[in-house]
Amino acid sequence: MPGPHLDATRMVRRAAQELFPGAVVAIGTGLPCYLPGEFPPGAGAWFLADSGVLGYRGLETDGAAVDAGGNAVALRPGGAFTGVVDVAGILRGGHTDIAILQPSQVAANGDFVHWTTESTQGLFAPGSAVDMAYGASKVVAVMPHTYPQGRKNIVTSCNLPVDGVGRIDIIITDAAVIKVGPAGLELMEIAPGWTTDDIVAITDAPLTISSGVKEMTFNVPTLEPPNKVYATAFEALADVPEGSVINVDGFAGPGGMAHYLMVGLRDVGVKGLQLISNTAGIARMSAFGAPNIIDHSILVENNQVAKATASYPVSPSASRASAFEEAYNRGESKLEVVPQGTLAERLRCGGAGVAAFYTPTGAGTLLAEGKETRTIDGKEYILETGLRADFCIIRGHKADTLGNVVYKGTSRNFNPVMATTAKITVVEVDEIVEPGELGPEEIVTPGLFVDRIVLRPPDFSAYL
Amino acid sequence: MTSLEELAEKDRLPREIVAMRVAKELPDGAYVNLGIGIPTLVSSFVPEGRTVYYHSESGILNCGPIAEEGEEDIDLINAGGQYLQSVGGMSFFDSAEAFAMIRGGHVDVTVLGSHQVSATGDLANWMLPQRGVGNVGGAMDLAAGAAGVIVAMEHTDRQGNPKIVEECTFPLTGKGCAYLIVTDLAVIECDGKGLTLLEVAPGWTPEEVQQLTGAKLTISPDVKEFEL
Repeated sequence: MPGPHLDATRMVRRAAQELFPGAVVAIGTGLPCYLPGEFPPGAGAWFLADSGVLGYRGLETDGAAVDAGGNAVALRPGGAFTGVVDVAGILRGGHTDIAILQPSQVAANGDFVHWTTESTQGLFAPGSAVDMAYGASKVVAVMPHTYPQGRKNIVTSCNLPVDGVGRIDIIITDAAVIKVGPAGLELMEIAPGWTTDDIVAITDAPLTISSGVKEMTFNVPTLEPPNKVYATAFEALADVPEGSVINVDGFAGPGGMAHYLMVGLRDVGVKGLQLISNTAGIARMSAFGAPNIIDHSILVENNQVAKATASYPVSPSASRASAFEEAYNRGESKLEVVPQGTLAERLRCGGAGVAAFYTPTGAGTLLAEGKETRTIDGKEYILETGLRADFCIIRGHKADTLGNVVYKGTSRNFNPVMATTAKITVVEVDEIVEPGELGPEEIVTPGLFVDRIVLRPPDFSAYL
Repeated sequence: MTSLEELAEKDRLPREIVAMRVAKELPDGAYVNLGIGIPTLVSSFVPEGRTVYYHSESGILNCGPIAEEGEEDIDLINAGGQYLQSVGGMSFFDSAEAFAMIRGGHVDVTVLGSHQVSATGDLANWMLPQRGVGNVGGAMDLAAGAAGVIVAMEHTDRQGNPKIVEECTFPLTGKGCAYLIVTDLAVIECDGKGLTLLEVAPGWTPEEVQQLTGAKLTISPDVKEFEL
């Protein structure tokens, strides 16, 4: 007789071993809901439930917060609330490292069925499982091996409509751990008291037995939160590669512009940069600024800017050309003009994993030339693509050490959307606080979007 | 017929009066976005008893008045770079949401300046071809998204050329988006097919306004002097 089936706690503890410090982990309904509760409050992982809660502990009454399964949960310090659209963006935009789901069936090629059964066939119940499975870098299935009534849930091919094709990477059951690879399923671990033959007997799909097959363990890893705080702007940007695409926040004037990071980027001196920004540096020339204020011009004058993508690239007055306009006229920098709302939406979509969208803005104009157009309900739209970047420098008011950011007034502008689009997002703030000091409803940019935090020195001047 | 030289010498309405005439068009309770130039002045002239909520693409709804000198806050600006006073009921949002409000049709009226407006309501206000580069900013989104665009501008450019034309020769901002044009000489309705002259500045005849207009105007049978 094989050993006992594992209980839910042991299953999720084994699943917890798939996490790493700083991981963003989407928690599906069912068994996965038990996982966050296995970690202490300060653990360095972001648990995300599609109910709109980020950074929580499992199954504790807090009153306001519920997870995807409708269970009451308590926020961890630094946890935040977000809307369902933002949750979908976090999932679709590639910001999720691991999704943990409870499918009802997984096939040898990683296809899965999420909770649909023969009796509920036709009434799909994917919830957010589809978004999670397609958005996360790694998808972990936590499920009973045979349930109910001994039904074999790991199958050669699914006999019900699937909710994801080839998406499952690893299956953790109440009896075994099975890896899904290109060659099929590989048995990696077995529960105490079970033999490999026992597992083969309860698995419909063919299994290869790993040469290193071992007994499952249930220790939960310690996840130290990664340090995001950098001492200086220069250090936070020292590894920006030549030719990088960089989002630079700011509307047009001194507010909401990361002056200290701009100086850091200038001092790093890396060339061939492609800036995505509302302006290409006009604060020195416009009503917004002052003649000697720091703006993109310091990068242009240092010959670092190969291209700007902007809505308001040049000075309002042709007679007072900005550094960028002069560089453009000399043929040193290229320019892509994008309507401001299209720029914001291209960034939003880029960050949320939406490849392209149709917008009425610019239809029939110079800026629509060469773009696909489509008439929908009698109105003309043009196709615009999402934007992504290598680095992003943004300006917040306060951040906690987890990277949660709040902004001040109209200085919010492009910051929150830009933060979602870059591989490395660096934020400059007036104050860095401990997790829990920013209210969860107040947090605008959840820390999972922020990689590096720099304090703007109190004696730093935004003027040259 | 009055000669063009004589017309160039005639008094035109000051910018404030143009703004005042535009303000009369704003319905009570409307969400309104004001562009740069004459449009910015409109907020000072909303008729008493009407409440209008100003939206700015800098990410603020319910903009307060312009800040007093010495009270400027770099974190509280409108899209024209003016510093605003903090008022109760204002809210802040990011650029994507600011433009979702515009593109989604939630802003009722936009008032924009323009280089040219065509007989069919096309707008060209973002680029002068001779400069080679232009600042589109939020203009194209406003033209495409707002429920209606009122154009507020001078009737002719600095050289005296008509800014209201049969077809725009400058790069377009949007097609068929203007429904009303208020200038320092006239109020003109635009129904997408043609232009109707509704009001003229004091001392001007409809024929004189037509002389300085590059597109055919239908003169309304009720044409009257500017009504403030």
